[in-house]
Amino acid sequence: MSIRHGLLALLSSGPRYGYQLRVEFEASTGATWPLNIGQVYTTLSRLERDGLVAPDGADEQGRAVYTITEAGRAELERWFSTPVAQNDRPRDELAIKIAMAVATKDVDVGDVIHTQRMATMRGLQELTQAKRAAAGGLAQRLVLDSLIFKAEAEQRWLDHCEAVSKEKNA
Amino acid sequence: MTVVRLREVTREHGQVHALRGVSLEVASGELVAVMGPSGSGKSTLLNVAGGLDRPTSGSVTIEGRDLAEVADLAALRRGSVGYVFQDLNLIPSLTAAENVMLPRELDGVRTGQARKEALIALADVGAEEIADRFPEELSGGQRQRVAIARALVGERRLLLADEPTGALDTATGDEILRLLRSRCDDDGVAVLLVTHEPRYAAWADRVIYLRDGLIAESNTVRLESAR
Repeated sequence: MSIRHGLLALLSSGPRYGYQLRVEFEASTGATWPLNIGQVYTTLSRLERDGLVAPDGADEQGRAVYTITEAGRAELERWFSTPVAQNDRPRDELAIKIAMAVATKDVDVGDVIHTQRMATMRGLQELTQAKRAAAGGLAQRLVLDSLIFKAEAEQRWLDHCEAVSKEKNA
Repeated sequence: MTVVRLREVTREHGQVHALRGVSLEVASGELVAVMGPSGSGKSTLLNVAGGLDRPTSGSVTIEGRDLAEVADLAALRRGSVGYVFQDLNLIPSLTAAENVMLPRELDGVRTGQARKEALIALADVGAEEIADRFPEELSGGQRQRVAIARALVGERRLLLADEPTGALDTATGDEILRLLRSRCDDDGVAVLLVTHEPRYAAWADRVIYLRDGLIAESNTVRLESAR
């Protein structure tokens, strides 16, 4: 997850201080990825080191305010115009587990699949519940939708695994 | 309060055991989703639960009445059970309101009263403004809203839905599930939903998997009310 680009995107609408960035980040992603304030400051200081943000004094309460630089805007534009590559994502533990279940003789693949299916469905129910309860804006809803589509894809893939492994055993 | 109860239900079609001992209850206000691969007995389960088909053995009870002791199943169905399918729900030559009035008129309710009830049912599903339009003038989502209104018009409290979102895009499908959910939460309707799509099953209180005519396992995590 790119906290870096998330903060740049928020700063592109105007100078902000650290706590404000944290609150706005969580609001727009539906608090799906909670940030701690330490991460925000670490990220800000790296962005500053790279010349993408600059300190912009302090507000009336003495909080350090940051502003996006021209280089920061260029970087943000590059980020938005570049698709996320499949191999930027971490290895899929579930795929590895199912593959190992198939390769290991004493494991009932059907049971592994079914256990996962129930867990994924529970997760999907929780996400749907969060979506029902969500009063937030479009950004929050679309983040929840993203997680729902991913859980759904996992369910479909598990159905596929079950069907294929049944065929093979038949 | 249990609206529909299946006890050790089996259903054989010739040599095929479509259901092999299924027990299931759906309470008032509850949405239960049935999932499973094709041929797992989902539609048979729905037909048996709604009195469209009789079990080979075991019992089915709808609102306290054992279907084995009911001579006129059609009358019981008209009074207690509503159905929504993937498509072919509405009669093309009737307006939305006329479609919704139809089951009440079959029950012998006068036209004026049936229309009044139909308009209430349409308002309940957020479709009052399309009451006088014909099905071909409606979007897929609007047609399903009308079909749900027709399924619930009068005092029916059991809704059986077989892939009701099958022909809809995901945003519209979500709206239909939101609507079914509100019928459960606000009016105590019991919904049995057959779907092969996990995203819609996830709106349910309980998700049941049918495999080879048996309930393989049911997920008993109950969603807390969103309100």
